[in-house]
Amino acid sequence: MLKIGVIILQVCFLHVFLFLGMALKHILPLPIPASMFGLFLLFLALYCKVIKLEWVEQGAKWLMAELLLFFIPSAVGIVNYEQIISIQGLEIVVLIAISTMIVMGMTAITAERILARKRSERH
Amino acid sequence: MMIVFTILTYFLYLFSKKVYGKIPFPIFQPLLLAPILLIMLITIMHVSANQYLEDAKWLSHMLGPATIAFAVPIYKHFSTIKKYMVTILISITTGTLVAIFSTYLLSKLIHLNSDFLISILPRSITTPIAIEVSKEIGGLPTLTTVFVIITGVMGGVVGPAVLKWLSIKTPIAKGLALGMGAHGVGTNKAMEYGKQEEVFSSIAMIFAAFITLGWGTLFILFI
Repeated sequence: MLKIGVIILQVCFLHVFLFLGMALKHILPLPIPASMFGLFLLFLALYCKVIKLEWVEQGAKWLMAELLLFFIPSAVGIVNYEQIISIQGLEIVVLIAISTMIVMGMTAITAERILARKRSERH
Repeated sequence: MMIVFTILTYFLYLFSKKVYGKIPFPIFQPLLLAPILLIMLITIMHVSANQYLEDAKWLSHMLGPATIAFAVPIYKHFSTIKKYMVTILISITTGTLVAIFSTYLLSKLIHLNSDFLISILPRSITTPIAIEVSKEIGGLPTLTTVFVIITGVMGGVVGPAVLKWLSIKTPIAKGLALGMGAHGVGTNKAMEYGKQEEVFSSIAMIFAAFITLGWGTLFILFI
């Protein structure tokens, strides 16, 4: 029960960075979303020891672990796009599957080649 | 009504997680099973999708703080990031270009109309940034969200298979590929592999988002 309380409190505290991110977005007219500004600010606050890791660690861990939950409403919203589902739905899903396979494959191969080269240079 | 659908979503999510834990088939992953059950349920209850979305909107709102939360693993593993900076930058830059161009070419192949074509381009990055890029290049943000979700679902399905076929061994490469290919959902998948995979997946997700944002800006400036 105590752990749940800590998580709730820390998730609330993380909202402070969301609001700061919103404020920063207001000042800087860059096409970067408030949450990314927030991410950057939280990183800076941790790095400059303005806040302690323990203040956010549990809450952040929970948010990241339950990330899929927050995507579910948007996934349900897909039914609003009958056009996609009825006309080209299957084609689009196949397109995305194939493209994602190529992306993951190329990224993994590139990373592994660079790592292998690094390793051989060291020996 | 508000609480009802939020609680219902939460319980169906927990249920799906349990099912997937017992029977780890791709079709049972929570981001596929839970929405299917919810769509069936609201259809039976004669509740419109918009009404459901209105009630469950604060769950989507949590994506904001959840994105911010990724600062924690980055901070904790900052020295590792610095150590592998070149590997990260080269592989993620490659990944973003492959994502954009393969999506573009395949979309042309199936004659996707232009609204859809532009909206689908930023599909492989995390929702909040994908929406920004979509707006920048003249796409429809809601449509982009749909493509981002489909990417997440498909990434969870094909990701482990791709890594296995190509016999990718290093945790760094596995993590980078999952985060690059399927944003937060890929990172969630990476957690099943291990700590290092998870860290590099979060890193990939953030770098992919920023680099794609950069491509978007270049696109506007030169095209």
